[in-house]
Amino acid sequence: MGDHFSAFTFVERITHLSAGASARGIFTIPTRVRDFPSCLVAEAVGQLAAWVAMSRIDFRGRPVAALATETRFHRDVRPGDVLELGVEIDDCDEHAVAYSGWARVGGSTVIELIHCLGPMLPVGDFDSPDAMREHFVVLCGPGSAGGRFEGIEPSPMAITAHVAGESVRADLQVPRHARFFADHFPRNPVFPATLLLDSQIRLATTLANEVIGRTAAQVPARMTHVKMRSFIAPGQLVEIQASRAAHDAQSTRIALNASVEGKTVATARVEFAEGTT
Amino acid sequence: MAVYPKVAETMADALGCDVADVKLDVSLIEGLDAESIDFLDMVFRLERAFKIKIPRGKIVENARGDLPESEFEQKGIVTEKGMAQLRAYLSEIPAERFKTPMKVAEIPRLFTPETFCKLVVRAQHEARAAA
Repeated sequence: MGDHFSAFTFVERITHLSAGASARGIFTIPTRVRDFPSCLVAEAVGQLAAWVAMSRIDFRGRPVAALATETRFHRDVRPGDVLELGVEIDDCDEHAVAYSGWARVGGSTVIELIHCLGPMLPVGDFDSPDAMREHFVVLCGPGSAGGRFEGIEPSPMAITAHVAGESVRADLQVPRHARFFADHFPRNPVFPATLLLDSQIRLATTLANEVIGRTAAQVPARMTHVKMRSFIAPGQLVEIQASRAAHDAQSTRIALNASVEGKTVATARVEFAEGTT
Repeated sequence: MAVYPKVAETMADALGCDVADVKLDVSLIEGLDAESIDFLDMVFRLERAFKIKIPRGKIVENARGDLPESEFEQKGIVTEKGMAQLRAYLSEIPAERFKTPMKVAEIPRLFTPETFCKLVVRAQHEARAAA
């Protein structure tokens, strides 16, 4: 099986499924990984929604590009945590899936995804429909073997322009080869949107701390208007930019943009608040 | 059109532009840089905002009306009959924007906020009729 269903798979068992309507699942973050960014928790919720959507239309289509109206970050998770995942499907057909979802640890909400949308593309363009069907049966039954995720090294990022407190731009080098490409996706490797967002948040955090100009660290509290417009292929150079949009006593809002060869491939907004931990 | 202010506000939020830019007759693709993902986003946002159901991926199909597909288009090009049907369906679009020959894939380039206002009104009527 190699890295398929392990290098970038974050649902190990579906514990409850109401066909086309809702699901609950779990994923155990292996203790050996150094960290597990919030964006990967969001990915886990999205993957659970994808299983519900794909099974709804008998694996003819799968949601690939993503759109999230709002993501609320409540707290970080740690290696060893068991993510309790939940999704409620608002709508699902051959064209798209619309859903909201959450992840909890020990009953406490760590992330919420509100009004997400995934356009459906042919499963066969990305993966083997038969392999997906078989894995879905395993997930809904005994579950897959846990502990196979080995972590992901952040892609190298080099700052190319910086106006302190106003904007920062960087080149993000997407690796040409990485284990997660074998899982995302075997027939058509695509740089995961959630890894792009993780890099963008890291860049924006630098800016948010400059805007505040105090020692209290800023943490992402909310992300809105996430929209992936094009796929990013292995080896591509992505220019990512974070620009100050607004700032008040409660929060700092930063606009995010990612482009490849001058064409915008993703946009989002992120809101930072003073960290409590 | 009574629904226009709310449609414009919803579209501005989806496209990340100022609501003042969402003029009733602006081309969503050429004037506001909308892409296919934006159309999907707008449809879902309008559904939530107006509590209606808009059939996805069917705007072009609806435009075809009762005309069979083979009479509406041939080899991806809208036929003369199809153009007449399209002009009638998209009556809000000025005649000069209907280029001939027109590819089926180019039809969304005609769409304006008014097109979506009409979709909303049609969906509201259908919901009322079904109630």
